[in-house]
Amino acid sequence: MSEPILKIENLSKSYSLGKRDVQALSGINLQVNKGEFVSIMGPSGSGKTTLLNVLGCLDKPTGGKVFLDGVDIASLPEKELYKIRRSKVGFVFQTFNLLPYLNARENVEIPMECVGTQKNERSQKANGLLKSVSLEGREEHRPHRLSAGEQQRVAIARALANDPAIILADEPTGNLDGKNKQDIVKLLANLNINNGTTIIMVTHDSQAAAQSERILLLKDGKISREKQGLLLAKKKLLCPYCGSKVQPDETRCPSCKKALRQEEEEF
Amino acid sequence: MGIANRAFRNISRRKIRASLVIIALAFSMAIMISIPAGASANQQSAQSLTQTLSNTISLTESSINQTATQIDCSLTPSFQNFGFNPQNSTFNQFGPGPRGTFDPSQFGGGGGIPGEFGGGAFAGRGSTPMNESLYSDIESIQNVAATVPILQASEGTNQTISSFGRSFTLLRVEYVIQGIPLNSSLIDSFPILPTNITAGRNLKTEDSGVVVLSENNSAFFGVGVGDNVTILGRVFLVVGIHGTSGVSDRTTLYMSLSDAQTLTNNAGIVTSLEVFAANSDVVSSVADAIGTLHPELTVTTAQDRLTSLQNMQNSYNTALANAQTTLNQTQTTAVEEIVVAISATSMVVLFVMLYTVRERTKEIGTLKAIGFSNWTIMSQFMLEGVLLSLIAGVFGIAIASVAAPLFSGLLLPAVTVVAQGTPFGRAPGLASAATVTLTPILVLIALGAAVVLGALGSLYPAWRASKTRPAEAMKYE
Repeated sequence: MSEPILKIENLSKSYSLGKRDVQALSGINLQVNKGEFVSIMGPSGSGKTTLLNVLGCLDKPTGGKVFLDGVDIASLPEKELYKIRRSKVGFVFQTFNLLPYLNARENVEIPMECVGTQKNERSQKANGLLKSVSLEGREEHRPHRLSAGEQQRVAIARALANDPAIILADEPTGNLDGKNKQDIVKLLANLNINNGTTIIMVTHDSQAAAQSERILLLKDGKISREKQGLLLAKKKLLCPYCGSKVQPDETRCPSCKKALRQEEEEF
Repeated sequence: MGIANRAFRNISRRKIRASLVIIALAFSMAIMISIPAGASANQQSAQSLTQTLSNTISLTESSINQTATQIDCSLTPSFQNFGFNPQNSTFNQFGPGPRGTFDPSQFGGGGGIPGEFGGGAFAGRGSTPMNESLYSDIESIQNVAATVPILQASEGTNQTISSFGRSFTLLRVEYVIQGIPLNSSLIDSFPILPTNITAGRNLKTEDSGVVVLSENNSAFFGVGVGDNVTILGRVFLVVGIHGTSGVSDRTTLYMSLSDAQTLTNNAGIVTSLEVFAANSDVVSSVADAIGTLHPELTVTTAQDRLTSLQNMQNSYNTALANAQTTLNQTQTTAVEEIVVAISATSMVVLFVMLYTVRERTKEIGTLKAIGFSNWTIMSQFMLEGVLLSLIAGVFGIAIASVAAPLFSGLLLPAVTVVAQGTPFGRAPGLASAATVTLTPILVLIALGAAVVLGALGSLYPAWRASKTRPAEAMKYE
């Protein structure tokens, strides 16, 4: 039985919009185990980003409990949340959000500066992380000299800087073209498989979502459906449709003959 | 990559904007520095002027008191006598050009108080030549103890000044020759020789071919005791140097009367007669008798001189009061202008930083999402404001070091001591452009002010930045 890294109990979040209350999230229960790669999909306004904001301690819920690595972040005062953000959460943004006046290594070093890591150690670790996202030799380049895909790789390296309990990725492929899109999803999946990094990814892209382990559909602030992604199958080497054993390089299930590489079905 | 480094990189990241802001702030700060520098220069000039005038008055008073029995007799200066001896001597502070105005602060008179405050306050040792033999009858007046003929001649260079389309030639006095009869009966009994010998010796009976120079003369000729000095083409031995004793002798060199007459080619000519009464009680009657005998003479007693001094002092006090009023106005204006400059500087920092914070909302949100505390964000933005202000402060000091006189001249009321119709004539104005200087203390205060203003101006924007919601990082345009 895997250890839960994130446990959400009856989570709700509402906003006041003038005189009207908007229920962005209601009654969400969810458990994400350590080493899982979960995608959240849903139409615009379904509450995806609100959920991610709450999970990332960027926003406080109005009801329910959220245990992140054993800490109930919903009960923490606002001024304490930055400590959770800096140590337990790594963010990957749709628009990369790199600081334009810092080079790639310095961008990766920033979260480590927050936790007081020494300069030498920071540089060393940042170089290592950039190498792990295939950006060796680009350490001194500023964001404007990197392609969109490379910038997102730097952002992923930055998210990993403080060895967070969880990576929250908000539409990480939203600003990327086809090839870069695939590469970034592959990079996230590899991090998950090889390093056991827990990832929650919000996306509109069903192909990207399919590469994860578990896919949640959010609708009107509630989880309306949940299904397995292809990654789970890869990890377990089982066909997600019929459950029979498959080989890692097989593209179709030998039993049910369904495709294993792509998830075409839309929610 | 500390917050200081990030703050600096953020400033340098938008070079044109940063440059414009720094230029604006630098000028504001230059003005802020120049005004106190100008006000302080005015204050110092006023103090120095007060000191000089007080010293002159007190020295003059003491000198007058020492010569209580002395009566000056001289011809009233008249324009007919201009250019009396055009060959090499001028007996008047005026050059050949009549009806000019003169600035006594520059052109010391033949009598009175030459040097800084010339102008014939005590026109005793007159400037108009008179034939000594015509006045020998004064000696026979009752209660006259002695009559001392004096020849005084001012030497210098002529300067032509144009004003309102007219030219004036003025004599800029370099030294004043004073010839004194060196009879033992006179120099031993009456105060006619310089009293404050600072080197060498005083003149003595039957001295010839020797001079006693003033300290100013010594510096002017570049000679000391024992050296030879050439005056109007003739060589004299310097036997002594005298310090000023308060009356009209800053630029006066003393020699025997016969030497002076020969030197200036004026045998038998003097410029004043110093008559000594037998005692102070009879001074007035002797003066009246001289006046009756020679109505053409201007007769001045010690009492007259004291009265004249009193007038001078009153006039000086009025002038000083006027100057003080103007100084007070200057200080009020200075304070108002500094307040405006400080406000302008703070406002510039405030608006620039507010704009910066607004422009970088997403970046701030990202930093907060990554885990920066409110305090770190606030520190970074305050540091940016302080850094911006500090750089501007350095440029402001550089500008002020060159343009402080200009700024203070433009922004502060001019302060002058004007005592018209008084023996002062026009005293020099106070702070001139050249006297406005930046002291190290002022530079340090300016840098301190730059830091404080930068911090104050960026306080609110930095606080706003620290309150930015981290969720701003998730907003996509």
